[in-house]
Amino acid sequence: MLTKYITSVSAKFSPFNSRSGKTARNFLALLPPNARSTMAIDVQMLGQNAAATPASLALKFKDGKEMSLDLEKMKIKEIQVEVDRHSRVLRRKEELAG
Amino acid sequence: MPPRIRLQTSSLTPLVTPSTGYICLACRHASLATATTPAPPLEQTTSSTPPIQRYPRNQPPSHKPPEFRKTQLHRQYQSLLRSAPLMLIFQHNNLKSTEWMALRRELATALRKVDADLAAQDKHDLLAADGIKLQVIQTGIFASALRVVEFWNPDFSSSSKPHTPIHPTDPSTPTSEPIITSTAQTTDPSFTHGLSAHAALTAKKSSRRSKHGLEPLLSGPLALLTFPTVTPQHLKAALSILSPSPPNFPAPRRKANPSYHEPAVQNGLQKLLLLAARVEGKVFDQEGTRWVGGIEGGLEGLRGQLVAMLSGVGAGVTGTLEAAGRSLYVTVEGRRGMMEEEEKGGKEGEQ
Repeated sequence: MLTKYITSVSAKFSPFNSRSGKTARNFLALLPPNARSTMAIDVQMLGQNAAATPASLALKFKDGKEMSLDLEKMKIKEIQVEVDRHSRVLRRKEELAG
Repeated sequence: MPPRIRLQTSSLTPLVTPSTGYICLACRHASLATATTPAPPLEQTTSSTPPIQRYPRNQPPSHKPPEFRKTQLHRQYQSLLRSAPLMLIFQHNNLKSTEWMALRRELATALRKVDADLAAQDKHDLLAADGIKLQVIQTGIFASALRVVEFWNPDFSSSSKPHTPIHPTDPSTPTSEPIITSTAQTTDPSFTHGLSAHAALTAKKSSRRSKHGLEPLLSGPLALLTFPTVTPQHLKAALSILSPSPPNFPAPRRKANPSYHEPAVQNGLQKLLLLAARVEGKVFDQEGTRWVGGIEGGLEGLRGQLVAMLSGVGAGVTGTLEAAGRSLYVTVEGRRGMMEEEEKGGKEGEQ
């Protein structure tokens, strides 16, 4: 996954939800070791009682685009595809700009 | 003139009749004689040799080959789950080895400080800092080990087993007798160790029906902090280092502990997420974990609170039971006082 063009990640999830919690945790595990120095990461974890509350994952990119991903429906592969699609556009622009 | 028909050279040589050859009569006698072997031992004539035990008693066959790393990890995690009553589950997101090192160092110093405090209070039986370990686990193998620990309860009492007292080294046991340790089947239900095929299959089957509560957490990169005993004091110290939250579990101040505020520790902390805790088989989320860590004075403090509560209840009960008698006494006394006064008043009136 191209994480170079992400500037901000804010996630809110309950790890006890077997679908959205897993996806959100997998996404956080995909960020590189130095991610905290290149992007703002805000993780809010809910408890066991709040497992049913809808989780949210919002990303911001360098060009200002905001992307909010539906964790209930999307799996980690689909999220990767979505993020990569926009990141590739940004990479292309950067390459053309020199 | 030579003959027209050529003769074979072999046909020209005279045939050697067997009667003409040398015959060793002694050899012929020897070949006909029966060998004189010693008689078999008496036991062997009445019963056959005992079957061979294929496995050492302390190494029963496992479900997966025992030389694989995953088998040994499975065994290790099972023993960890059985021996650690309190464990915290963290997710680690790409921590570097220097960050792990720094975190472990900070954790060890904080826990040793707790131990020193406990030793100063003469509570030497509560010292546990050396047994508290932070380790990265293989998630899938840990999930499987947890299933076995939770759902597989072998009956270790030999009386209830249909196990006949066959012993392979007993000479009266026939060779054909199937003995668990001599049969090559690893799926034999009489194996009671955690690595047996029976344990794995039973755990897998029963995990479909019942849940242990940690299923959604067991994915992705996980690390465990294991405690050999349930010690809220140590848990509090560990939480304030690894997952600080200001009011109850504050991180150490920069003045008190400058090494905690080094970049390696802080970067590592940001990538470490506290997911849940498993306390004596029960699953607690973050808040539950903080509640366990917030028990004042540890388990002894909890016991003290319980005793105080129960004695308070006892006092209340005795008070309630006494109340009826006391009120009766008060009424009777009051009535007696009144009658005495009336008597006095009557006497004064007569005078």
